[in-house]
Amino acid sequence: MKLAVVVQRYGPAINGGAELHARYIAEHLAESADVRVLTTCAADYLTWRNEFSAGVDEVNGIPVERFAVDRERELEEFGRLSERVFNRTHSLDDELKWLDSEGPLSRGLIERLRSSGDEFEFVLLFSARYYQAYYGARAVPHRAVLVPTAEREPSIGLGLFRPIFRGVRAIMYNSPEERAAITALSDNSHVPGVVVGVGSDVPEHVDPERARAKFGLPNRFIVYVGRIDANKGCGELFQHFLQYLERSGRELDLVLIGSAVMPVPAHPRIRHLGFVSDQDKFDVIAAADLLVMPSFFESLSMVALEAWALGKPVLANAHCDVLVGQCLRSNAGLYYDGALEFGAALEMILDEPGLSATLGANGRAFFRRNYTWPVIVRKYLDMFEQLTASPPAHAMEPLPGWFARRSRSLPPSAALVEALPAGPVHTRGAGAAAGSWRNHPQESTA
Amino acid sequence: MDQNTQGRRPHYNRGRRGPDRRGPDRRTPQSHDQPERSSENVDDEQIMRDIRARISQRHGIELSTQQIQELAARRLEAILDPRSVNPTLMQQLRRGADAAPEMPPPTGDAAYTFEDSTLYESHRGFLRFMRRLLNPILKLFFNPNPIVHALHTQAALNRDAAAREAERQRLQGEWNALHYEILQRLVTEVSRVSVEMQALSLRVESLGARVDFNDRKLRAMEPAPQGGRAQSQSRPPAEQPQVAAQPPASVEPAAAAADGAAAADGSGTSEGTRRRRRRRRGRRGSGGAAEGGAAVVVAGEGLAGPDTIGLNDLDEGDDDEPEGLSGPEPVAAADVAPAPPVAEEPREPAVAAPPFEQPTPPPDEPAPHAPEPPDPGPPDR
Repeated sequence: MKLAVVVQRYGPAINGGAELHARYIAEHLAESADVRVLTTCAADYLTWRNEFSAGVDEVNGIPVERFAVDRERELEEFGRLSERVFNRTHSLDDELKWLDSEGPLSRGLIERLRSSGDEFEFVLLFSARYYQAYYGARAVPHRAVLVPTAEREPSIGLGLFRPIFRGVRAIMYNSPEERAAITALSDNSHVPGVVVGVGSDVPEHVDPERARAKFGLPNRFIVYVGRIDANKGCGELFQHFLQYLERSGRELDLVLIGSAVMPVPAHPRIRHLGFVSDQDKFDVIAAADLLVMPSFFESLSMVALEAWALGKPVLANAHCDVLVGQCLRSNAGLYYDGALEFGAALEMILDEPGLSATLGANGRAFFRRNYTWPVIVRKYLDMFEQLTASPPAHAMEPLPGWFARRSRSLPPSAALVEALPAGPVHTRGAGAAAGSWRNHPQESTA
Repeated sequence: MDQNTQGRRPHYNRGRRGPDRRGPDRRTPQSHDQPERSSENVDDEQIMRDIRARISQRHGIELSTQQIQELAARRLEAILDPRSVNPTLMQQLRRGADAAPEMPPPTGDAAYTFEDSTLYESHRGFLRFMRRLLNPILKLFFNPNPIVHALHTQAALNRDAAAREAERQRLQGEWNALHYEILQRLVTEVSRVSVEMQALSLRVESLGARVDFNDRKLRAMEPAPQGGRAQSQSRPPAEQPQVAAQPPASVEPAAAAADGAAAADGSGTSEGTRRRRRRRRGRRGSGGAAEGGAAVVVAGEGLAGPDTIGLNDLDEGDDDEPEGLSGPEPVAAADVAPAPPVAEEPREPAVAAPPFEQPTPPPDEPAPHAPEPPDPGPPDR
């Protein structure tokens, strides 16, 4: 079986969520199929500047074809168009301009797919919101398998994506919440789909004491892994943590791993380790009491899965439906809404070793059930077999005509997304939790 | 009753109680009906419900920011009740707050321009030429210049008015947004404060109940004048001088209060105590009213029933106590309110006795030898 993985950036040093996801999937599917990656020469997602040379490359044994980006992103234009399509009534033409502005605009990549895409049995298109996924799906709709990695943010409400969600051969979702949102927006229940997510290469052996000694972490601590960014809820995390310290007087540290794009409070109990190696990261997580995930929007938190794989509970932001859904389905984490709940949930996990161990054990079992690589790869292969066995049952809707594209009749996408039902999808128990999503049994909880 | 088989009070009646046992921010201990969690019965939702219940128990009414916002929005609706204020005020404020101050351009009718040649303009060149050619003939009939001038001036006035109106509407929009924002914040703050006030009033109520309970417990545990009681009970009723039907436990604090008042007046406590002791010795020497001594002046004699206890009993009981223990009980003294005098001490010729005030116990004060009051339950809730 010959597969193409199409993604906006690709490389061993590129650690963005969707890009890393694509690399992991490509590398693990390569054991069962002939995988080729088609990507751009860009390394920076803000500018899409060509930093790699065009041509064929190889990353971890996977052949990678790189195509030049025709135009770098102009942030001002992109912001203006985003404002228009997200918040005002607009036309499909506005949305297409927005997509071109967002990039990475690489006509060579699309032309490659259009001209010789049939050499692949299936084309895995990552990140629905980017140029290459949209036009790639239109270039080879009968082979396109979409991995949307969509979050609950305004871009998924744009009208131009609905035909894509309805027209690809299959969709590999990251979470039941993502699936529910896309289904509600585009009415694509006829498209085969499965909640897969992504696995993680968690080492067999971790050494918490080594991490404690290396980084000088004698106290109990909680850990955050990821970009330290206000958009990830880190500002709120700092506030809650410092308030908790003040109230409880406990000797507890907050350890941060990742690059900081916002100032980290200068507090003796907050330790910023910066970038660390994977082994160090896993050792630090293993030494921590829990992993905290303050993000408001997540498609799938890989680091939460890694913490669960290591038997550590997760404390998540209750405003993130995906994280709360994962906590509820796994019974492996708690969530907080506000400083008081943060402190109470944190204290409960810290003070009750039995609870912490149980949550960790549940997390480990949840990871093994759903997110180990054999499970993930099996889901992909099953989907490919299913698609191979049955011919395409639906076609991609063509783009509307010149006048229809310029008709200002599309509502603001932010309003559409805002109107979606909210809350985690609850596959356990009798019914849905806070929201009104229906149950999706794909993510096993049994 | 709230007693176990040994007749003792359960252990939870001792020491500090309630959620503040380990300080206000400590988690309350796990209740007995919440078993040790195992992997089978861990339920995230249940844990979160527990956490939220604990938080609300610890902090009274605890609302999230979003809930306070919703509450504030409801209160704002109530304040801006369309029936009582202005049916469209709410919508106007909301519109003003939401909409950017983007004014529509002036309509075409009002924004015309009028120049000298406007009267003769046409998109057809020939017609325009003919009009200009025949213009002198037209001016033979009337002078169009004042009309042109007036219309030109009117066009300029229209432009100025449109600009002024746009500016005024922009300012009004900004003011509306500002008003709405201020009002919204005020109401949010009022909501927050009222919620806090509710929580604090609950707390005050809880503390009041606890103080009351401790007060009762303290009184119940006060050392009763056992010697005097035993002696009085051993006497025949006829020997007891009936003074007043007041509980003696309240009399002593009243005397203490009187002493305190005397001390405050500058006469000193020791002088008053000496005088009373002299009076007591005198009475003891006289042998009481039945032995033909000085008669006790009884002010409320008609009120004295068979169960009343005489002042002599109290005095003797007091005398039995060591000197150091005869001081006033601060709690009882504080509790005894000044009451109208109902009886006077028999005056001795040499020493002027201070007026004795018969205290009136508060209505919920227990009788001095009444059984221990039942446990009112945890004082917090």
